[in-house]
Order: sequence, then structure tokens, then C-alpha cells
Amino acid sequence: MPQIEIKNVSYTYPIKEGYNIKALKNVSFSVEKGEFIALAGMNGSGKSTLAKLLNGLFLPTSGEVLIDRISTADEDKTFEIRKRAGMVFQNPDNQMVATIIEDDIAFGPENIGVPREEIVKRVQDALEAVGMSEYRTRTASKLSGGQKQRIAIAGVLAMKPEILILDESTSMLDPNGRKEIMDIARKLNESGITVINITHNMEEAAMANRVIVLRKGRIAMDASPKEVFASGLLEACGLTLPPITRLAKNLAEKGFVFDGAIISEEELAEEICRQLK
Amino acid sequence: MQAVEIKNLDFVYSKKTPYEKQALKNVSLSVEEGTFLGLVGATGSGKSTLIQHLNGLIKVQNKKRSSVVVNGMSAKDRKTLKKLRFEVGMVFQYPEYQLFEDTVARDVAFGPKNMKLEKDEIDRRVRRALEVVGLDYDRFAERSPFDLSGGEKRRVAIAGVIAMQPKILVLDEPVAGLDPVGREEILALVKKLQREVSPTVITVSHNMDDMAMLADRIVALKDGEIVADGTPKEVFCNRSLILDAGLDLPTATSFSDILRERGVEIPDDIVTMDELAEELAKALSKKRAVADVDATEGNGNV
Repeated sequence: MPQIEIKNVSYTYPIKEGYNIKALKNVSFSVEKGEFIALAGMNGSGKSTLAKLLNGLFLPTSGEVLIDRISTADEDKTFEIRKRAGMVFQNPDNQMVATIIEDDIAFGPENIGVPREEIVKRVQDALEAVGMSEYRTRTASKLSGGQKQRIAIAGVLAMKPEILILDESTSMLDPNGRKEIMDIARKLNESGITVINITHNMEEAAMANRVIVLRKGRIAMDASPKEVFASGLLEACGLTLPPITRLAKNLAEKGFVFDGAIISEEELAEEICRQLK
Repeated sequence: MQAVEIKNLDFVYSKKTPYEKQALKNVSLSVEEGTFLGLVGATGSGKSTLIQHLNGLIKVQNKKRSSVVVNGMSAKDRKTLKKLRFEVGMVFQYPEYQLFEDTVARDVAFGPKNMKLEKDEIDRRVRRALEVVGLDYDRFAERSPFDLSGGEKRRVAIAGVIAMQPKILVLDEPVAGLDPVGREEILALVKKLQREVSPTVITVSHNMDDMAMLADRIVALKDGEIVADGTPKEVFCNRSLILDAGLDLPTATSFSDILRERGVEIPDDIVTMDELAEELAKALSKKRAVADVDATEGNGNV
């Protein structure tokens, strides 16, 4: 049974009288537990709208979103859905609710009535998982963007989620911050959490096991990173190949021979060495 | 001619409080007119503090010791400060957050109006600025800037700056948050602006690949001090220094190191992907030539 099912989902933003924007048009796909998915697309492709439909922040205009067979439209189950699917947003400065870091992380579990001793344990575990244990009693305002996003992830983890949704959570970070967040996402995924990373960074997309590309509110591609990069359709979707894949493509025009798209430095280094030996 | 001349610049935030932090230490920097300068450094290294001195948004603290002179005008001199602000076009991070007028044309006209120009001249400049950033005047002038896409909003914000026809353009992370196509469009636009509007460009960036490709000169900051200053090759090939400053090497440099470690014979000063591809293509044809010679000699022996 898929963990997430998106069935014929459309979403329309009402802008003003008689003028709407159809952000998603008849989107269907499902996600198995433990997948690492990159949801990619240019600005305006509908990817963030889709993210917000996954945990019931938005409800579909038509169609259905099911998390473990629970519909996000079922108002009695909203808390249940949000507990299972936690979301980290784009702006590191907009997600703190408390001054002290441990209070911020405890906010979610407190709201669902988790007993105190259990909260203390969850906060510790969550901080450990994001490598921020030593910051437990400090204030959030002095942290870097990457550290703030790690705290935001810890806040989600304290809810014991099964799904982590990153809604462009790295796009405002510097390269180090981006690396920190992607390393954590990979580790959490290895521990069994489903990760859905909404991004337009194709190096991040290359880290996923499946890439879903949206274009003008529809799914344009749904395949492995290798297949997506080899498709030749990325640019039509407003995206570009990651630098390493682009280098390989350039080298292929200069006489090197590769089998399909290259998605990692290791892969490319090996091929180049083999062909130059 | 020197477009920018900074001497012994120090800056301390929250002076005489427990939060005191020295953001700049004895920074001296001259920038020749016509330079595309890439200013790089880890978060908190002082880049933003430095560029905000260029148009007097941050005042020179130690007036005796430090000086900031832009196009011959001192940022310490209150009389020339206004003129200086018009000559240094500052495009902040996420500049689209600063759009505020109800039409695109009015938003772009805000700067030129402050310069007290004639109405005709303002109109001319608004038209020209929108044209340069690639937004059709008739299509966009009367629209609300808030109904535009992210990339279009950023163009409007940049148009508002270049409508003042600054001689120096300073951009803080101009492509932050944009999707790949938006990134390439804005980077191409910055190059175009250097050719057509502001001959001197200073860009703050975390993307070493972009800087290796675009900049003539790279200045690297670490903890408020300049730790490297030179061509992209000179700066980025000093690997230990770049890593020590908390920066990444350009992808081409780090990847060519991986290849060289594995015995591929390519130069050690590669900073752009195009260079790397060229060098690898050379290595491949060399190998093939050797193989051909071997094959011919082999035939001769038979």
C-alpha cells in the first residue's frame, strides 16, 4: 500500500472575481514508504502548491490526497496528518516560535499532549539527529541560516513523522548550509523516513532516488535522476542539468562515450580515467 | 581610473556592548573602472558590511584612519553623499521584496524622481531601464509589480536601480532563490548591464562556479579581512586558502583535482568547466594519436 496517494488533484488559486490561476491540473502519483523524492520545477510550476497539499495546508479543489489512506480533507484527522507529514519551509527566519531552542522544538509535541518526560527525550533525540545538541538552551537568533533550518527539521522530528517535506528549505542557504541540510535529509531517509524535497537545484535532485518534474501544473516526468537528466526535456521545463552532468554532455560532444546520463562525480571520474588509459 | 578606493577600513558592530563584533579589519581595496569584481567569503565574513560602505549606508567609523572614496567622492563627506548614492547602484539580496509602487513604471521611476530629473527624462529612463532588463515597456509599465513572476519582479527591481544610471553596480547575491533558467537570465543580464550601463560591477556571491566564469578579479574575505585578491585563477587555485576561508573550490577545480589524483594529465590551474572540457578533449586526442602511432608501428613489425 502506498504511503502517499495523490489522485487526480487539481488546485485553483482564486485571485479575484472571475480570475483564477490553475496551479495544479489533474496530478496523480503515489509514494512508497522510504522513498527519497525530488519534486522539481521552475518557479510557478506548482511544486510548492503540491507540497502544501501533502500535509493538508491546502486542500485540493478537486481530487484527493491520502496519507496512509487518511484523506487530508478529513477535518477530524488534520492533526494526525500533520504529525505524519512534517514540513520545513524556505525562509529560516520565519519558522521559530520560541526564543530558546529547546522550547521551539518542544512546541509541536506539547500541542499534541505528549507527556513531559517523553517531550524531554524527543527534544534530545531530535537535536542529536540534526547535530545541534550543544545548542539546546541557546537562543535561535544568533544561528546561521543552515543551523536555523536544522532546528526547524528537529522541530518536525520531535513529532515522530513518517514523512519529511522540505519546501525549498535550502534555497536561501549558503553552500555549507545546503550541504548540512542535504546530509541530514539523507541520514533521516536511511533511517526509514520518506523524504520529499521540493527544489529547483538539480544537484539535489541527483541525490534522490526518484525525480518528479512539474511543468505548468502537470507532471512532465516521473523517473530516476539518470532517466530525467538523459531525457533532454529538462530545459523545456525551465530546469538545467547539474554541472557534472553538463560537463559529461559537453565531453560526449568532444569524443568521450558515456552510457546514458552521468549523475555523480565518482561515475564521471571513473569513465574519464578508463577512456584516457 | 579608480572607481573605488578603500583605505584601512575598520568596522565594529554593537561597539562597547557584550555583542561587540569586528566585522571589518583594516580593509584596503582599489577597484579600477571597468572591472567585474567578485566578492566572496563565508557567511559572516564581512561582505555585506563592506559593500554597504560604498554608498554610505554604513558610515565610516574611524574617520581619521579609514577612507572610502567612490569616483573621487568621499563617503565621509555629507555634501557629496547624495550624489554618491546615485552613482553607486545597489541591488540587495531579494531586491523584489523592496518593490512598493502600484505600477511597474512608477516603481522604476522612484529613483530618477529622487534625483529631481525632468519628467521627460524620467520617462525616457524608465523606458530604457525596462528595455535593458528585457521587459517590454508597453506590456509591463502599467501592471502591478506584485502580479509578476519572481524573475520578472527581480528584473523590475534591477531596472529601478539602473534607471539612476549608476557608474558602479553593486549586487548582493543577485541570483539567490531563482530557478536555473532565472539564474542564467540574471547572470547574462548582469554582464549586459556592465557593457551598457555601469562599467564597474561588484558582485557578492557564494557560487564560485559563477564567479570563476564571470569575474575579472576575485577578492576573498575571511573574518573581516581580505585574504586573497587576484584573477579567478590566482585566487581559486590557492586551494588551502580558499578552503580555509570556508569557501568551496569551483566544481571544475575540485573535479580536476580528483582526476589528477587518479593520474589524468591535465593542468592544475583549471577554474571553469569549459576549460576542463577543453583539456580533457586534448588529453583524449593525444591518447588517440599515441594509439594510432602504436597501431602503425605494430603493423610495420608484422
